[in-house]
Amino acid sequence: MLSEVLLVSAPGKVILHGEHAVVHGKVALAVALNLRTFLRLQPHSNGKVDLSLPNIGIKWAWDVARLQLLDTSFLEQGDATTPTPELVEKLKEVAGLPDDCAVTESLAVLAFLYLYLSICRKQSLDIVVWSELPHGAGLGSSAAYSVCLAAALLTVCEEIPNPLKDGDRVNRWTKEDLELINKWAFQGERVIHGNPSGVDNAVSTWGGALRYQQGKISSLKRPPALQILLTNTKVPRNTRTLVAGVRNRLLKFPEIVAPLLTSIDAISLECERVLGEMGEAPAPEQYLVLEELIDMNQHHLNALGVGHASLDQLCQVTRAHGLHSKLTGAGGGGCGITLLKPGLEQPEVEATKQALTSCGFDCWETSIGAPGVSIHSATSLDSRVQQALDGL
Amino acid sequence: ESGSCSGSGAEWRQPGRGRRRRRRRQVALAVALNLRTFLRLQPHSNGKVDLSLPNIGIKWAWDVARLQLLDTSFLEQGDATTPTPELVEKLKEVAGLPDDCAVTESLAVLAFLYLYLSICRKQRALPSLDIVVWSELPHGAGLGSSAAYSVCLAAALLTVCEEIPNPLKDGDRVNRWTKEDLELINKWAFQGERVIHGNPSGVDNAVSTWGGALRYQQGKISSLKRPPALQILLTNTKVPRNTRTLVAGVRNRLLKFPEIVAPLLTSIDAISLECERVLGEMGEAPAPEQYLVLEELIDMNQHHLNALGVGHASLDQLCQVTRAHGLHSKLTGAGGGGCGITLLKPGLEQPEVEATKQALTSCGFDCWETSIGAPGVSIHSATSLDSRVQQALDGL
Repeated sequence: MLSEVLLVSAPGKVILHGEHAVVHGKVALAVALNLRTFLRLQPHSNGKVDLSLPNIGIKWAWDVARLQLLDTSFLEQGDATTPTPELVEKLKEVAGLPDDCAVTESLAVLAFLYLYLSICRKQSLDIVVWSELPHGAGLGSSAAYSVCLAAALLTVCEEIPNPLKDGDRVNRWTKEDLELINKWAFQGERVIHGNPSGVDNAVSTWGGALRYQQGKISSLKRPPALQILLTNTKVPRNTRTLVAGVRNRLLKFPEIVAPLLTSIDAISLECERVLGEMGEAPAPEQYLVLEELIDMNQHHLNALGVGHASLDQLCQVTRAHGLHSKLTGAGGGGCGITLLKPGLEQPEVEATKQALTSCGFDCWETSIGAPGVSIHSATSLDSRVQQALDGL
Repeated sequence: ESGSCSGSGAEWRQPGRGRRRRRRRQVALAVALNLRTFLRLQPHSNGKVDLSLPNIGIKWAWDVARLQLLDTSFLEQGDATTPTPELVEKLKEVAGLPDDCAVTESLAVLAFLYLYLSICRKQRALPSLDIVVWSELPHGAGLGSSAAYSVCLAAALLTVCEEIPNPLKDGDRVNRWTKEDLELINKWAFQGERVIHGNPSGVDNAVSTWGGALRYQQGKISSLKRPPALQILLTNTKVPRNTRTLVAGVRNRLLKFPEIVAPLLTSIDAISLECERVLGEMGEAPAPEQYLVLEELIDMNQHHLNALGVGHASLDQLCQVTRAHGLHSKLTGAGGGGCGITLLKPGLEQPEVEATKQALTSCGFDCWETSIGAPGVSIHSATSLDSRVQQALDGL
């Protein structure tokens, strides 16, 4: 077992194009969002496993010895098992969670326990996980959590090597190791979500941009990093209801909605094409095309009935500053993305952020096409992140 | 004997513009708007032809005798001739319009002269007439005001020259011509439109003549049977726009992103067809669900028109304001500003409607509460007209 501290981060995700249409077999583009989840793992010999999640105020501890005594034959040897509902129930008993434990808390703890017991149950550890990502906003925070856990646990148990070399500030695992990380992260996601698509953990593991259609996931080669504003309207919505609403509209008006979904598919494909061509030196015209695609897709999503007054306001505010936005994810509130093409005056960007914040929204200036799960040297992390991991 | 006739404005519900020639399938629905143009024709024996258009402050007069002397052989005998540019030039000489005459003015006068000289030439002597035309329709807003003008002129001139009978019987407040007579009115109105527009589609004058709702596809126009009258708000943002530029913009977007825009046009076509279907089923006692469907179609089409790039901030504002009152709106016509329609389903509280109109007016828009699916060209008894209309025709 390793003894030095591990610092790992993984990005969240946004859907760039194709949300809702993807449910009906169309192409979606999911991109890594550079709002990241950070995990610090300190191996110990104190006989305890400590899990601390400052974002949701959780601190749990288990005795390694007691965990060792558990009959965990329900976890198969070797490859990652499908976490069934029964398995999750057994984990709950193991975890010793109180009945009144909040769902978010308990699922995060159970996912950790599942991965810990499956990957490296003998190790005493101190784990702190802190995220820049808001939870439950469709930005892949649970996947980033699972990816960080999988990467850190696999590395501390030496299932995969630590790619960080002397002098490195940051590094990434090999393709094969990332595949193993992703496989375990997906299992963690299954504990949390039951039946996830696997896209969120794939984006968080691989980074960059992925195309997703009918269950098949593939990476876009060398997509450019795009600067964006990520805005959370904080208007709650029920994803299931929104998805059902689109299905109902398709059933009610098939001749109207089916071609609309085809048009959205074509937007995703055109975006993929443009991103593929942008390479090292993207041209201004390419950013203009991206903006046109954003605008058209936003109108299409409104036509599908997943818009919301808060999102209209978001779009209006950014448009008043010459910027182009669309909802990302389920709609009905939630988040939107705004493209920041190169050459914008920073005061204009600041004014836009101010205007969005004045609407009561949260707003981050960040990027998409970000690196996937990475391992960092202790000194390379932002002091803000260090303090958060220190619980300050 | 004087008569007044009114022709309704024409309004596109589903413009379906910007389509390439090979996309022959696109359907559009045009409906008669109950903002009307009114014409009063008073026959005289004073040897003069007087044309008065109070909306644009025009008063023109000609001596019948002088008009009689003109060589109008450039107007063929019998059926309505195609007004060519050369013909329009000759009309200009005849009209005696000054060179600095505004385009709107001169086209209105030329259309009148063309119709007067062509329709009345069969008479032994050209009639002396006093004609006043006043409209509730704003001009140049895509609402068919020139077509309504042409329809009124054609109907009135054909009737005073007894080419078609006057359908108004004793005791009638209002009446309409027979199908055959309406076809003749429409044919001449189309010629008037050609003087004004050069190469119009013919839909505007058809809607104004026939009323109700028309479907327009591949140049073919057909009436929807018994469409319901729908109450609406008609709002003019008064933001000027260039129709040609907007149409070209859609074409360019289609050329740039064919795989994205072609299915979008297909979706718009499907909206028109669904609307036609629902209107056809609404009949005597429309159900609330049918109005909800119309509202959903309005919303979807408005988003599609925005996706085509013909939206505008003023139209977004219009839609937002009406949505805040639970109502559904879309741009009508070219977009980029111009007009929008808002459906007023039955059962709305009048105070809510008034509040919506107020809110729209506060945005600087003009707003009318009116209806679509209105009657086409009609002839009215003198006493049946609103005093407001009477006063307008009296130039007050």
